[in-house]
Amino acid sequence: MKLLLIEDDKQMAEFILRGLKEQGHVVDHATDGKDGLFIAASEKYDAMIVDRMLPAIDGLRILKMLRSTGNQTPAIFLTTMGGIDDRVEGLEAGADDYLVKPFAFAELLARLAALMRRPPVSNVKTTLRVGELQIDLLRRVVKRGDRVVDLQPQEFKLLEYLMRSDGRIVTRTMLLENVWDFHFDPQTSVVETHISRLRGKIDKGFQSEMLKTVRGVGYSLRA
Amino acid sequence: MLSSRLFRTISFQLTAFYCLIFAVGFLSLLLITYLTTTTALRSQIQTEVLDQLRTMTTEAETDGITTVVEDIIEKTAVANNSAGFYFLSGPDGQKLAGNLDAVVPTAGWRETGLNFPTAAKVDTTLDVDHQIWGQGNRLSDGSFLFVGKDARHVLAAQEEIVSSAAWSSGIAFLLAVLASIYASRGFLRRIDNINQTSLTIMDGNLSQRIPVSGTADELDKLSANLNRLFDSNQSLMESLKQVSSNIAHDLRTPLSRMQQGLETARSCAKTKQELTTAIDAAVVESDQLLATFAALLRIAQIESGTRKAGFKQVDLSKMFDRIATAYQAVAEDQHKVLVTSWPSVCMVTGDEELLLQMTVNLLENAIRHTPAGTQIGLALAQTKSDASIIVSDSGPGIPVDQCQKVLEHFYRLDASRTTEGNGLGLALVSAIAKLHGSQVVLEDNQPGLRARVSLLRR
Repeated sequence: MKLLLIEDDKQMAEFILRGLKEQGHVVDHATDGKDGLFIAASEKYDAMIVDRMLPAIDGLRILKMLRSTGNQTPAIFLTTMGGIDDRVEGLEAGADDYLVKPFAFAELLARLAALMRRPPVSNVKTTLRVGELQIDLLRRVVKRGDRVVDLQPQEFKLLEYLMRSDGRIVTRTMLLENVWDFHFDPQTSVVETHISRLRGKIDKGFQSEMLKTVRGVGYSLRA
Repeated sequence: MLSSRLFRTISFQLTAFYCLIFAVGFLSLLLITYLTTTTALRSQIQTEVLDQLRTMTTEAETDGITTVVEDIIEKTAVANNSAGFYFLSGPDGQKLAGNLDAVVPTAGWRETGLNFPTAAKVDTTLDVDHQIWGQGNRLSDGSFLFVGKDARHVLAAQEEIVSSAAWSSGIAFLLAVLASIYASRGFLRRIDNINQTSLTIMDGNLSQRIPVSGTADELDKLSANLNRLFDSNQSLMESLKQVSSNIAHDLRTPLSRMQQGLETARSCAKTKQELTTAIDAAVVESDQLLATFAALLRIAQIESGTRKAGFKQVDLSKMFDRIATAYQAVAEDQHKVLVTSWPSVCMVTGDEELLLQMTVNLLENAIRHTPAGTQIGLALAQTKSDASIIVSDSGPGIPVDQCQKVLEHFYRLDASRTTEGNGLGLALVSAIAKLHGSQVVLEDNQPGLRARVSLLRR
């Protein structure tokens, strides 16, 4: 993937650049808002990572200006700790996702991957399939092989999200935000509890385990 | 130093200003008295003089000048000249009679230019000035007759008025100055008290307060208000101190654990696996530290009140539905029973994300701090005016005297702080409740704890 990072903090930029290059991505780096806006507007990228606080032009304005010119490059917005209004502001400015600093690199990677596979809006599927597992979104029926799996609404939502992720890793925070719409860190094992219940229903009694835990990062669903 | 300040006080300046106005009024009163008295006395003398002059003129015209001469001699014989002063000269200007040496022979009233005769005897028992006021008249044969009176009564009265004015205004001025000094000193003393107290507080003695005199005047009200300000200042400073020392304490422990782990790994680890394990443990510790900081910042941001601008209509019932779906399984897995109840619709004005976090925090507290088998209640009760979020449990509860303290930053019932959590959960709940104009009420559920937040509906 060809990515653009607009970040003025040296250490943070190095941390992100090293990680992304190790993963084989091509990354361009701008250290202030003016350069960032210029590069983003003049070249084509698969995704960009934009920090909120930037010299010259701040991240919010970069996103607004790009979106107003019709540039739809998926963007992840980086905000500082505790800024509870930043998320809404970032999304309103046109960001597709946001991350609060400091974050684990795996989290950024998982979110970049999720951005990349966002399907075009017109192409809405009514059935999803991963291996022998398939769900019918209209009739709300889940089957693994021939066996019908009976799911609670919350479990259905969780499974739908995992299936849309198409085998890629999703983190605990991504699940909290997208399945439960929780934008804070709960003190109890909400995610773990529901994952284990879902696993009990879709994997129990089958040869292979589809819902896998990736230690320290998150979960993935694959055939 | 004090004296120069005294004259610059507002009360002194005000008193001085009033004194000035009073003095102007007083002096104009005196001036009027002076003028009216003088006029009245003058017209009295004038009447007497003119009467006599008219009588003597008639006498001269009818009985001849010699009769007048005799009359004058008779009158000037009276002791001390108390009958008056006379001068008569013939048509040739020669003095014919009178106790005045010479009078310029012009007709009309005059009050000046008349000298006492050198030989004239006047009553000196009265310690006043003498002045002759009188009128001259030219007779038909060319003789000149002057009749005058001693105007000492008028002069004495004038002098009396002036001197009494001088005395009384002097005394009044003195009194005014004394009174204003007294008033200003009292005022200054109280202002000094306020200044002194403020300085003492600035020096760090936060418990100092301004003495209140109990007269309920403006200064008392000001002092009472300032005292209230100092009260809130003190409690804020104390809670700040408490929070900082708690932060220091709570962050030192995980940091030192992290350091120990890393140092042990550096000196003892032999395989890559061991090093990785140590690093993973350090990452977990640092994650917790960051979470604590994030929670602190979040509380601070909520307490700043900026979120209020984004308040919207929130359906608490929908929110409760979401929470119940998410936590039913969590409670079950921990062998606890979650009993929920909420009305079909319940609208309040607020921040949905924060209200959700508040309710979740209360519920998670109930799940985490109770033994297995506990029944936990999550209820939404609404009346016409408010909506109450109630989280109750039948667990061990909180001692009544600790109910207020658990809402503070970092307060932990578990003094050893070995159980999970950062001690900020309820502080966050409290901050969110306050943002919504409410508060967290912790009550005895007999047994257990009941937490209630009542939100105003609009």
